[in-house]
Amino acid sequence: MTGTWLPYNTLVVAAGVAAVGLAAGVVGSFTLLRKRPLVGDAAAHATLAGVAGAFLVSGRRDLPMLLAGALAAAVAGLAALVLIRRFTKTRDDAATALVVGVGFGAGIVLVSGITARGIPDGAGLETFLLGHTAALTAADATLLAAVSIAAVAVVLLILKEATLVAFDAEFAAATGWPVTLIDLVLVTLVAVMVVVGLPAAGAVLVTALVVIPPLAARQWTERVTTMLVLAGGFGLTAAVAGVAVTSRVPGLATGPVVVLAAAAIFAVSLVFAPRRGLLARRQEARRGRAAEEHRP
Amino acid sequence: MPPDAPLLEFHDVSVAYGGRPEIWNVDLTIDRACLFGIIGPNGAGKSTLLKAALGLVPLVGGSVRFHGEPIDRVRRDVGYVPQRETVDWDFPVTVMDVVLMGTYARLGWFRRPGSREQTLARESLARVGLADLATRQIGRLSGGQQQRVFLARALAQDAGIYLLDEPMAGVDAASQEQIFAVLTELRAADKLVVVVHHDLRTAAAWFDRVALIDRRLVAAGPTAAVLTPDNLRRTYAGEIDLLQEVGQAIAARGRTE
Repeated sequence: MTGTWLPYNTLVVAAGVAAVGLAAGVVGSFTLLRKRPLVGDAAAHATLAGVAGAFLVSGRRDLPMLLAGALAAAVAGLAALVLIRRFTKTRDDAATALVVGVGFGAGIVLVSGITARGIPDGAGLETFLLGHTAALTAADATLLAAVSIAAVAVVLLILKEATLVAFDAEFAAATGWPVTLIDLVLVTLVAVMVVVGLPAAGAVLVTALVVIPPLAARQWTERVTTMLVLAGGFGLTAAVAGVAVTSRVPGLATGPVVVLAAAAIFAVSLVFAPRRGLLARRQEARRGRAAEEHRP
Repeated sequence: MPPDAPLLEFHDVSVAYGGRPEIWNVDLTIDRACLFGIIGPNGAGKSTLLKAALGLVPLVGGSVRFHGEPIDRVRRDVGYVPQRETVDWDFPVTVMDVVLMGTYARLGWFRRPGSREQTLARESLARVGLADLATRQIGRLSGGQQQRVFLARALAQDAGIYLLDEPMAGVDAASQEQIFAVLTELRAADKLVVVVHHDLRTAAAWFDRVALIDRRLVAAGPTAAVLTPDNLRRTYAGEIDLLQEVGQAIAARGRTE
């Protein structure tokens, strides 16, 4: 490693993870607007089993292979969620808890089994639990960035249709839009983002990368487009903060740092945002009371 | 499309939710442009009937035809105003954004609203008296204003047939009047306006023709001929005290005509 402040590889990884953070915020905005923030959770917790499964099948630990396995598992988790909803009377939140628990349990059993049996090369898999960007190569980061940019491009392409369905699915259906198809595209994007977010945030925390930046962004604006820009910016900031901190502290997992950075942004937004922030709302309430008292 | 097919025709329509029948064997033909009220007590399946017409709920039996065609071939000609409570008004969009949604079906995939759509949306907003509030977030409107935004969105659809689900529910008197004025304009422009409505008192004054619904069709036709004490008794079995007031409303209407 050279003596520069940030080595080349770290810079490339930071740029790749920045793109992931941005795309997670943009894609996540629509799960929030569609009132399905936990969809990503079911997908995320299933990914670990996919990572372990891909490793067992291929016997190698290269990132594209592992992420392909993760994506398959994420889709399986979401399919399980849909099937439980359709064929049982289980409530949505209970169904989500079920899929999260079972998916994650399976993942832990597989990963710890691989580690315990000392399968060569298997020791690093647990980094997918909490995220570990220090292990990423420049090629890995480029892949993550490319997928992220593609995800953002899809959102921008169907911005009009997605906004319509998120706001009023019944009107969308009445005017002839294929609501299920549009929902399917959005859910697929969430699954993809959860998967490419794994190296940055890990299976446990990657949902936070999809949920928290949009929540923070919603505080500052009353427009969908502005919300997307802000959520992307917040996600990017949190992701870069995670890479920057963990690249200098060996052994520190990236996910928790990313999530804490995002949470800090959210806390500031919650308190200080104009109009929707706690301070602004308190002031508004006070003005309201004052007006009430001055009324003759 | 067949030239002499009725504007809207329900043929033996039955709908069930989760095995529970909601409406059954409704036969209803609307063959001329008018203000048409669908009247009945709470839970009578009035909204379900509209949703069945739009293909939003599956039919257990029967069929619905617009101009003799199934809904999927005429969607662009059918404007829809859903109940106000069906959406989250805290959603981060402006009044203008929502009204523009009425133009999306015509635009099709990926195309964004241009100046033509903007103009249409602005005109629609002006017709419901909300031109000044175009840039406001929709949560910062009164209930009556929100309802008028939904009406403006339907106007931006530029349709020939309009289906409205309880447009007067929870709406202040001024907004009610404005909405009714727009509906009258639509009728004057030779459009069919079908309104699900629960308030018998105003129904007698507003609609040219009505259908009384209580899970099945009780009666349909010209308002004065349908809103008879006998028909009302059969529709509102449990709400007898209403009937007297309605009788008075109808009598009052007769005097002013």
